[in-house]
Amino acid sequence: MSKSSGKVKAGQLWSKNKDELTKQLGELKTELSQLRIQKIVSSGTKLTKIHDIRKSIARVLTVINAKQRAQLRLFYKNKKYLPLDLRAKQTRAIRRRLSPEDASRVLEKTKKRQTHFPQRKFAVKHHQPPTQATMSADPLQVLASAGKGESTRGLLRVIILALIAGAAIASRLFSVIRFESIIHEFDPWFNFRATKYLVANGFYNFWDWFDDRTWHPLGRVTGGTLYPGLMVTSGVIYHALRALTIPVDIRNICVLLAPAFSGLTAVAAYLLTNEMTPSSSAGLLAALFMGIAPGYISRSVAGSYDNEAIAIFLLVFTFYLWIKALKQGSMLWGALCALFYGYMVASWGGYAFITCLLPLHAFVLVCMGRYSTRLYVAYTTWYALGTLASMQIPFVGFLPVKTSEHMPALGIFGFLQLLAFLDYVRSAIPSRQFQTFLWLFAGGTFGLGLLGLVVATSAGFIAPWSGRFYSLWDTGYAKIHIPIIASVSEHQPTAWPAFFFDLNMLIWLFPVGVYLCFQQLADEHVFIVVYALFGSYFAGVMVRLMLTLTPVVCVAAAIAVSTLLDTYLSVKTPKPEASQPAEAAEGKKAAKSGLKSTNKPVVGIYAVWGKSMMVSALAVYLLLFVLHCTWVTSNAYSSPSVVLASRMPDGSQHIIDDYREAYQWLRQNTREDAKIMSWWDYGYQIGGMADRPTLVDNNTWNNTHIATVGKAMSSREEVSYPIMRQHEVDYVLVVFGGLLGYSGDDINKFLWMVRIAEGIWPDEVSERAFFTQRGEYRVDGEATETMKNSLMYKMSYYNYNNLFPAGQAVDRMRQARLPEVGPTLSTMEEAFTSENWIIRIYKVKDLDNLGRDHMSAAAFDRGHKKKKATKKRGPRSLRVD
Amino acid sequence: MKTSAVFSALLSLLSLASAAGADSKSSDSSTTLPATFRPPQVFKNANLVHVISVEKNYVKENINVLVQNIDKAAQHEYFVPFAADQMARLGGVEVKDRKDSSAGPFVAEAVEFDQESDIQYLRITLPKPLAPGAQQTLGISYYLLKAYKPLPASIKQEDPQFLSFSFSAYCPSAYTTTKQKTEVKFPSSTIPDYTKLPGSGDIQEFPQKQGSKLTYGPFDEKPAGATQPVSVRFEFNKPVTHVSHLERDIEVSHWGGNVAFEERYTLHHRGANLSSLFNRVKWQQSQYYAPNTFALKEMKFPLRVGSADPYYTDVIGNVSTSKFRSNKREALLEIKPRYPVFGGWKYPFTIGWNSDAKNFLRKTAAGGFVLNVPFLEGPRQAEGVEYEQVQVRIILPEGAENVQYHTSVPAQSITEADVEIHRTFLDTIGRTALVIKARNLVDDFRDRELVVTYDYPLAAALRKPLIVFGSAVALFVSAWAVGNLELKFDATKK
Repeated sequence: MSKSSGKVKAGQLWSKNKDELTKQLGELKTELSQLRIQKIVSSGTKLTKIHDIRKSIARVLTVINAKQRAQLRLFYKNKKYLPLDLRAKQTRAIRRRLSPEDASRVLEKTKKRQTHFPQRKFAVKHHQPPTQATMSADPLQVLASAGKGESTRGLLRVIILALIAGAAIASRLFSVIRFESIIHEFDPWFNFRATKYLVANGFYNFWDWFDDRTWHPLGRVTGGTLYPGLMVTSGVIYHALRALTIPVDIRNICVLLAPAFSGLTAVAAYLLTNEMTPSSSAGLLAALFMGIAPGYISRSVAGSYDNEAIAIFLLVFTFYLWIKALKQGSMLWGALCALFYGYMVASWGGYAFITCLLPLHAFVLVCMGRYSTRLYVAYTTWYALGTLASMQIPFVGFLPVKTSEHMPALGIFGFLQLLAFLDYVRSAIPSRQFQTFLWLFAGGTFGLGLLGLVVATSAGFIAPWSGRFYSLWDTGYAKIHIPIIASVSEHQPTAWPAFFFDLNMLIWLFPVGVYLCFQQLADEHVFIVVYALFGSYFAGVMVRLMLTLTPVVCVAAAIAVSTLLDTYLSVKTPKPEASQPAEAAEGKKAAKSGLKSTNKPVVGIYAVWGKSMMVSALAVYLLLFVLHCTWVTSNAYSSPSVVLASRMPDGSQHIIDDYREAYQWLRQNTREDAKIMSWWDYGYQIGGMADRPTLVDNNTWNNTHIATVGKAMSSREEVSYPIMRQHEVDYVLVVFGGLLGYSGDDINKFLWMVRIAEGIWPDEVSERAFFTQRGEYRVDGEATETMKNSLMYKMSYYNYNNLFPAGQAVDRMRQARLPEVGPTLSTMEEAFTSENWIIRIYKVKDLDNLGRDHMSAAAFDRGHKKKKATKKRGPRSLRVD
Repeated sequence: MKTSAVFSALLSLLSLASAAGADSKSSDSSTTLPATFRPPQVFKNANLVHVISVEKNYVKENINVLVQNIDKAAQHEYFVPFAADQMARLGGVEVKDRKDSSAGPFVAEAVEFDQESDIQYLRITLPKPLAPGAQQTLGISYYLLKAYKPLPASIKQEDPQFLSFSFSAYCPSAYTTTKQKTEVKFPSSTIPDYTKLPGSGDIQEFPQKQGSKLTYGPFDEKPAGATQPVSVRFEFNKPVTHVSHLERDIEVSHWGGNVAFEERYTLHHRGANLSSLFNRVKWQQSQYYAPNTFALKEMKFPLRVGSADPYYTDVIGNVSTSKFRSNKREALLEIKPRYPVFGGWKYPFTIGWNSDAKNFLRKTAAGGFVLNVPFLEGPRQAEGVEYEQVQVRIILPEGAENVQYHTSVPAQSITEADVEIHRTFLDTIGRTALVIKARNLVDDFRDRELVVTYDYPLAAALRKPLIVFGSAVALFVSAWAVGNLELKFDATKK
């Protein structure tokens, strides 16, 4: 055969298939054995050939082997496991080595040690005169090496956070600088008054405070019907500063509390975001967004001394603690979370948001099959301690176990107990039995629980959903059923532009951030997703709830922006030509390591211009955002609304201070216990600034009482006078914007008074009667008789036409020419009108000395004849014994 | 630290006591006399001219009297009687020798004898006893507050205001008066009502009216205690401004080189009430047609030149209706109340300002400090302002000691002076505060000075920076120490 084949060339073998190779191998082997025989029997000459044949056999075998392995490789490609022989052999030590990820893993403790006590590196600096080339490379180098060290980064982070907190505080001080250190709006005046009471009378008296200067003659159990967190916080700060003998006025503490806490909120947002992503730039961005987002600033400018001032900080911080507790399964963090939850409950009614969101998060996690002991520990610790803490607040009391709003939290608490129990059972009994057990048990418990809830609700142990709750689902609900809630502008559904106004670019970054959360979807990302969903819905329902949406928007947007920045802002810019060989080398390596499927193709942005364009675009957006926030804050949210600003012809600022003029007049020149009747909007201000008892105020706990005032305002004098006498009213205060063109006046709010009164007395007050035949709401000569005779109309326009030449009286707010003859008042007299006529105060006349009714007495005074007795059949007048 | 504070307070109290003993005898030196006390008839008023000025919203009375000793012995105590209710409203008593201006103000003090008595006496101590038969001309001037009653008590907003004032045509005196006359000066010549008395001598009827002046007298000899009640009613279409309480704080800061003033006024209008309530339309119209009104619209505070950063607030907050004009010649603060203040109305407010310490503070050669501030810096109004209670509190730096004061405000008006401790701005032992209480002052005294001398050692000046620095260091050190504590249970055994 091929005896003279000679040496086999490996190169020729590759093209052969397996059979041919086996055949050749057989031939070679036979040849070898023949040669061996020759060697023994005779002294052959071909003995040297033995060596060649052996090598040939080896070559063939090698090729066979290699082909086989290649086939196997092909076969096992994309299979989960690779036969041991096919794996890279290397050395045993190398094979036993930890994977890079595992090797780089460090304990929490070690991590801390490294950050706090990093290894010091010393180097002798080599002095070298800078050359041109190094000069140009230096800045980049410096930039790249700056913030390399862990401690430098830590310091930088602290400095940046401090600056952000400073910016957050500073941007809220517009109103203090433009106007003065003054409490804004309406509700803050009550909080301010309550704080003063707390500081003056101590905590226990505050707790038991019964306030007989509001809701006359009912009074209000103020201590038990407020959220004391805000006042107590201010009181503690006040006493702490006093202890340091720093004489700070309590008013200044109240004014500056909200900005101070917004600084803390920025820090809390940083912490929360840091739990979401390893990139610390996201945290800093979130802090920045939180610090200056108008959605939050709207409720936290200096002077806006409302519950939200501290509640948003508590909200964000509680969420941070919850995430921390959940991630670590730590009771300590859970307890801290409960503590801050308790503080939150003490501060704001919006705590229900947390009460619903945390169970929802837990529920979603369980549904995703992520039940774990960490979740169990975190949730049960929070719920048990948090509920106990919340029940310490008198205003909350037993609500957490008695109302439907709190039931989800309780339900999830029970559900988690069941899961924990099942977990235990599963570990104890075989799986077949467990399945049956599970279905029976779970179904039974759920059914029982639901039944129990329904029974308890219908039996009245658990209060059904409240009206405020329904109004969250049906935006039209409040307008029909609870006009008081609907009459407040901040309870209206949000208009679309409001989102852009309050959040600007964050609103379109927000979905990106949520998407990025979906990509990772660890437990904490689920939280962001759930929160985003919930928050967006509620923010859409009520303008006011934009506030609860803002934190999650800031966090999500920060994640989005930081991901972008991290991608595009990598300082290590490999030059395109340098990266080519690097990539090739990479490719080789990949080929060498064979079937390793973990190797991802390396993608990156290498073009400097692309990077810089992206980064500069982002920078422009960020700058525009800052600009927008500053503009919104300065123009929309920094007006105290107690003081109005206008411009003089020469451009200088002119302050219209009518509210305080009138309130000060009331405070100084009326009896200490003179009762003031006004629409409820001004109740808190009268209590705070004028220090006089009021009939109704912004607490709105008694709808009937408010409706009574509404009825008095919207009825004829003959009807109103007995109402006012019965309520011992001494003065009536109305707000009138007709002279100045001030839109927030009582005539514009009048229809709400009518509506609320109509809700209680549909027979006596009718909204329709205030509209003309053509359905117009008018105040001029065409106004309806009901309108013209209503007390509110009379008080607003009384004496007003004397200010103008005859027949020229104009209401500048409603652009209406008023009738030539102004309204007459017989049961009350004008007591005070402020400089710009914004506030008008009337004194309710005492009973007539001669026993006449006021109409005839007034007619007599005007010089008219006494009316005939037979005509006396109008609405009733008060009979006094 | 506390004991040292008390100690230094005591020290300064002692020093004050010595100071008070030295130069102001007024505070607690009223002599107690038996209840049956009657002034001994040792003097005779040879000639007396009583000038009552009702031009401003307080009454200023001037009694120029030629007294003659008719006793055998030399006398040095002259008594002036007042009705009990007048005594409480009496202030700013100053007695001088009309002939000898260098004799300085004589000591005048209230006599304490019988609280129930209708007549109370003011005792004037002559510096040199008056020899028997000798004569001396005394000029006694004093002010009466809350002297008027509006008549009619309530008027319309646009009506002019009339006030009535009752007094005695014979000057009240504890001695026989040989010859006397009483002149009353009015703000205008509109005096619709005044009591007419039968004349004497060549004058038909008292009083004689000359423009805005009424003259009762001259009368012939009247016995001691003779009275002739008369009352006048005159137009006073200006606010009757009455400050029931003024608290004036002057805070001296050596480190800041600043003197801060703050004044808290409780202001009342004691004029006629409104008969019908305030009408804005009429008010706005009268602003153009008849700006003259009895309502208080504006107040002007001429502050010391160099005053800066004024503020004007009330209990609700800043009041925006104020103007401050400051240049090299003047520093005028013009404020308007939030609302025009009519009779019976009230308007409390606060003003404050700063000034450089060098305008008021001087270091003496001996190492102490001298602070010279005005005792009173109220508004300067044409119609005058009266102050019922005034409390001036001078807050000296922490650790100031050896406090003494001297003031040219009549000693009779000063009721109390005390050194207290005032704690503020990181104080440890508290600042030394000199509190002077006075009563029944008027704006005539607004430029009277108050001189306070005190020592302020360097150690006291350095106390606060050292303490603040020390506590900050202590805080950091303790934070560091707490941070270093290992509170964890360490699983790894070493």
